[in-house]
Amino acid sequence: MDVGAQGVVVDIVPGDNVENVESGEGRSPSADRLLSLGVTPGARVTMLQRFPGIVFLCDQTELAVERGVANAVLVRPWENPS
Amino acid sequence: MSCHIAHEQAAAASRPLTLRSRPLRVALVGQPNVGKSVVFGRLTGRYVTVSNYPGTTVAVTQGRVLVGAEVCDVIDTPGVNTLEGTVSEDERITRDVLETDRADLVVQVADARNLRRALMLTGQIATFGKPTILALNMVDEAFARGIVVDAPALEAELGIPVIEMVAVEGRGMAELRDALARAAVPHVPTAARAGATARAEWAHALTTRVRHVSTISLARIQETLAWATRTPLTGLPILAVVLYALYLFVGVFGAQTLVKLLEDGVFGRGINPASTWLVDRVIPIPIVHDFLVGEYGLVTMGVTYSIAIVLPVVATFFLMFGFLEDSGYIPRLAIFCDRIFRTMGLNGKAVLPMVLGLGCDTMATMTTRILGTPKERLIAILLLALGIPCSAQLATILGILGGISFAALATLFGVVIGQMILVGWLAARVLKGERSEFILELPPIRWPRIGNLLTKTRLRVWWYLGEAVPLFLIGTVLLFVLDRVGALVWLSAAGRPIVTGLLGLPPATAQILVMGFLRRDYGAAGLFQLAHSGQLTGVQAVVALTVMTLFVPCVANFLMMVRERGLRTGLAIIGVITPIAIFTGAGLNYVLRSLGVHF
Ligand SMILES: Nc1nc2c(ncn2[C@@H]2O[C@H](COP(=O)(O)OP(=O)(O)O)[C@@H](O)[C@H]2O)c(=O)[nH]1
Repeated sequence: MDVGAQGVVVDIVPGDNVENVESGEGRSPSADRLLSLGVTPGARVTMLQRFPGIVFLCDQTELAVERGVANAVLVRPWENPS
Repeated sequence: MSCHIAHEQAAAASRPLTLRSRPLRVALVGQPNVGKSVVFGRLTGRYVTVSNYPGTTVAVTQGRVLVGAEVCDVIDTPGVNTLEGTVSEDERITRDVLETDRADLVVQVADARNLRRALMLTGQIATFGKPTILALNMVDEAFARGIVVDAPALEAELGIPVIEMVAVEGRGMAELRDALARAAVPHVPTAARAGATARAEWAHALTTRVRHVSTISLARIQETLAWATRTPLTGLPILAVVLYALYLFVGVFGAQTLVKLLEDGVFGRGINPASTWLVDRVIPIPIVHDFLVGEYGLVTMGVTYSIAIVLPVVATFFLMFGFLEDSGYIPRLAIFCDRIFRTMGLNGKAVLPMVLGLGCDTMATMTTRILGTPKERLIAILLLALGIPCSAQLATILGILGGISFAALATLFGVVIGQMILVGWLAARVLKGERSEFILELPPIRWPRIGNLLTKTRLRVWWYLGEAVPLFLIGTVLLFVLDRVGALVWLSAAGRPIVTGLLGLPPATAQILVMGFLRRDYGAAGLFQLAHSGQLTGVQAVVALTVMTLFVPCVANFLMMVRERGLRTGLAIIGVITPIAIFTGAGLNYVLRSLGVHF
């Protein structure tokens, strides 16, 4: 995702310890944490910056994450309805 | 069925409350940084640390208030993002409160801008089956961003009171008190209870129904600042300015101007001569004289060190730290530090304890709890003890080396930072365990409230004095006794091969290094006086300060390490640090001398 691009979260890719992929929980500590911070399927995200670290906006929450975490968030582009 | 229970409990909550045999227990629960502490303060008239980053309300605070005719015990819990699954220490504390009868009623404080996240938590709170009220705080900030929540509609959907508030201005507090009697278990559809994803979908759908976002207002000054502090092009210059301001305020104003004023003025010309005169008048016994106002006197050394040398530095540092903390700046630093910290087995989050360590390593050791894994906590504690100078040490370093040359300062910081990276790198490879991935919520940039800032600084300084002054005094007494029985001479003699031989320092530094263990800043203050009286050359000052910085932490810090990690780990950390400090000092001494550096 480029800086400034907007998208909708589709899924969070499971981490190494896949246990309960069906319900979307217990995938990995990071995935759980992202979920609890509001990065859930359907949430709108905007990429704010990529360097020196990735920062994105999810709803009204600004989150700084490392690359591996950001890569786990699957996003489809968001089309402006207007 | 769950509905039935809900109604019963709702009825229970609104029953005439005089029947209760004990006060109604009201727990404030919510995400970090939503204003819980402010609400608590407004409700109870008491103060809890209010700050702009997670992890400050570590323990549970309680206060008693009268609401109408009802006595309530209000509990402020640590901020939580989730109450299920693998939870952090903070989250477990809050969950315990909800699970037991320590709470009869829950007030969920939420950030009105983040309704979706708030509702995800509401969904979890509902599972505890307690009457709940949703306090939508910060509607002022939400409004400024064009976000409006239809509170009556939300109230109808959830079946609980929803109160819109601006806690900092006290708006909505009366409504909140009135609503206590109407609290009910939130109505969450069974489908939404299936798990995090189902709950998220429910929260998302509900949010879409009751929240209206009009225009996205972007060009606010806060947003611009938030952007500027995290982008390298502007962020690094801003960091430089912040560090320079820190140096000016703490290093120059605190450590020099105020210290001089207090040490030479208040103590040097006022208190010390006066108490000497008084002691000689009232109890003219030589040993009492020495004990109180002699070279290692309780007043002339203990009190003077703690109040005149350490207090100004600590107070100015905590004021500045509080400002950076409340403004939301510190978490933004984590973005810049993440990469370098990762080589040390940590992640950007560790910047919080590291910066706080510049104030007091003991306090910082306690806040390593915010880090994700035991391994990270251990590494952070080790690095804090090894390389992060506390404010008193920092002041000594700046005070002594700043007067010598910039190269001297750069040498010291270069060596110390290099050692930290090396030790961190090794520790990350040697120690077992995992590193957690870096995920950090960045709070909005806010202008700190002066009143809050002052209260917070006052509380921290009090905490510090409560920890430090007794140890200072004990240290002084110990020094006095050691001196009397001749052990000081012996200790200095025993340490001489290392101190004078290996490190090339004057013999008197041996005693200062030993006392530095009692309180790092105590040793620092001693070194300060040695340098002031011109007994140290440039190279000696650099070597002595490097060893002092790397050397074992003070007793308080050691005790805190033991409390957090156990005695064995505490001793192991000391066992690692001591040789590192001495050999680094020796190496530095050797290199500087053979290169003929003079600074
Ligand atoms: N604009 C605005 N700021 C608020 C409001 N309530 C709290 N704050 C600020 O939000 C920050 C976090 O508050 P705090 O009580 O520490 O949150 P806690 O972590 O939930 O206890 C502080 O800087 C408060 O001054 C509000 O209603 N409006």
